[in-house]
Amino acid sequence: MSPHDAPSGENIFSVENLALVYPARKGQSSATILADVSLEVERGSALTIVGPSGSGKSSLLRCLNRLEEPTSGVVRFHGRSITELDPRMLRRRAAFVLQTPVLFEGTVRDNLTLAAPGFELDASERRLEEMLRAVGLETTLLAREAAMLSGGEKQRVTIARALLRDPEVLLLDEPTSALDPPNAMLVVETICNLRKSHGLTIIAVTHAPDLVRRLGGALLYLVKGRVQAYEATYTGGGGEHLQAFLAGTHP
Amino acid sequence: MKNGIGVIDLSWWQLGLALVLVLVVVVVSLRQRLGLERDLLIGAVRTVAQLYLVGLVLAAIFSAARWYWVLLILVVMAAIASHAAISRLKKPIPGGIGITATALTLSTAVTLAYVIGVVVQPRPWWEPQYLIPIAGMILGNSMTSAALAGDRLQSDLLARQGEIEARLSLGFSGREAVQPLVRAALQASMIPTVNGMMTVGLVQLPGMMTGQILAGASPLTAIRYQIVVVFMLAVATSLGSLVFVRLAVGRYLTSAHQLRRYLL
Repeated sequence: MSPHDAPSGENIFSVENLALVYPARKGQSSATILADVSLEVERGSALTIVGPSGSGKSSLLRCLNRLEEPTSGVVRFHGRSITELDPRMLRRRAAFVLQTPVLFEGTVRDNLTLAAPGFELDASERRLEEMLRAVGLETTLLAREAAMLSGGEKQRVTIARALLRDPEVLLLDEPTSALDPPNAMLVVETICNLRKSHGLTIIAVTHAPDLVRRLGGALLYLVKGRVQAYEATYTGGGGEHLQAFLAGTHP
Repeated sequence: MKNGIGVIDLSWWQLGLALVLVLVVVVVSLRQRLGLERDLLIGAVRTVAQLYLVGLVLAAIFSAARWYWVLLILVVMAAIASHAAISRLKKPIPGGIGITATALTLSTAVTLAYVIGVVVQPRPWWEPQYLIPIAGMILGNSMTSAALAGDRLQSDLLARQGEIEARLSLGFSGREAVQPLVRAALQASMIPTVNGMMTVGLVQLPGMMTGQILAGASPLTAIRYQIVVVFMLAVATSLGSLVFVRLAVGRYLTSAHQLRRYLL
């Protein structure tokens, strides 16, 4: 294990032949969400997952922190199948940020310090302020009612809340899609800074070409649940479909 | 004194006169084009047939005077109530009938044991005159509160799934993540009972008390029974919905602390 700069050469996540099929239900036939997806993510690296709506991007991300149970295939975290881990521990180490920020009733402080019963959380004043600064927010926000924040502030508070749990990986599900362009840019900036400053591994599902370009790292292009293209280091290539998708001209 | 003092026995002729009331509604429905005539008539026929059937069964059980017949009728009542409680839900809960059966049986058994065994103490304990109507009230109210709790739980699970998964993602267990929804469902199911306790007797005399007074019992005896009934129903409804919600919410969670979103 290398203590130096990321990427480290050690896989934090590896996915082998993942498939997710929703069984047939009354009035609906079965639906294949993911088919034969394999990927590796090195510690400290970044991976962006792109693809048209309904291509299974979010489901893939949700399989990583086990909010979703794959039908077949293996997800490994530090080399161990995640089915051998306590999902609660996995989710603290691989923090998930949802597309629409969910903040609970109360102040920003209440939201940051929210913890499962019996879970030790270092929520000292110094640390709370540090986390808010890390996501580019004023520390005076701590006492503010969470419901009063703007969309961009809310999303950054949810990222700060995830950071407070000292995760190794951030799983971001379209973190900017619910935001207006200026706020989206701030969040993109925040994420890219965190990767550098905290040595975090970032796995992000996104539609935003901005985030893809700024974050760098690997790029996975998913279509109808299958890996259409994979680039270990995104250099602007990836074939015409991917190019068209990122340019926003994809059908 | 099963018939009380001075009860007027209603003849078929008098029941026929009561039917005139329904015919008035039918005329209103026809003139206002409400389209309810058919349902009204079917409803009237069912009322007569169902109640007559129940009357015959109860009369037979009262005269047979055997504990196992009384128990059998309770089981049948519980089965019907269990089915009715979940048939009102918008989406089925997998294994829902087992859940309601457990919840209603448990709440009824506990409440009935206390009210019959400790409070009223009829001899013998299975005296159908007491056991059947009391069990009926408990089951009926538990059924309604379980249905209310189930309805609230389902709509909340759907509306608040983002919130639940946000908590799961922060490392909460499945049970911890849905706790606020469980609380909301329990409150929704218990509010009618609590509100009922506030206005009982002021707006409308409760059914059982009305019945006892009509049957010739002194209002002071009737209110004593009614007080027992109100407290009994408070326990039965909260116990029934508590067991129901705790079991039902488990159907939406996996042992890996996941929300079964496809059930929503």
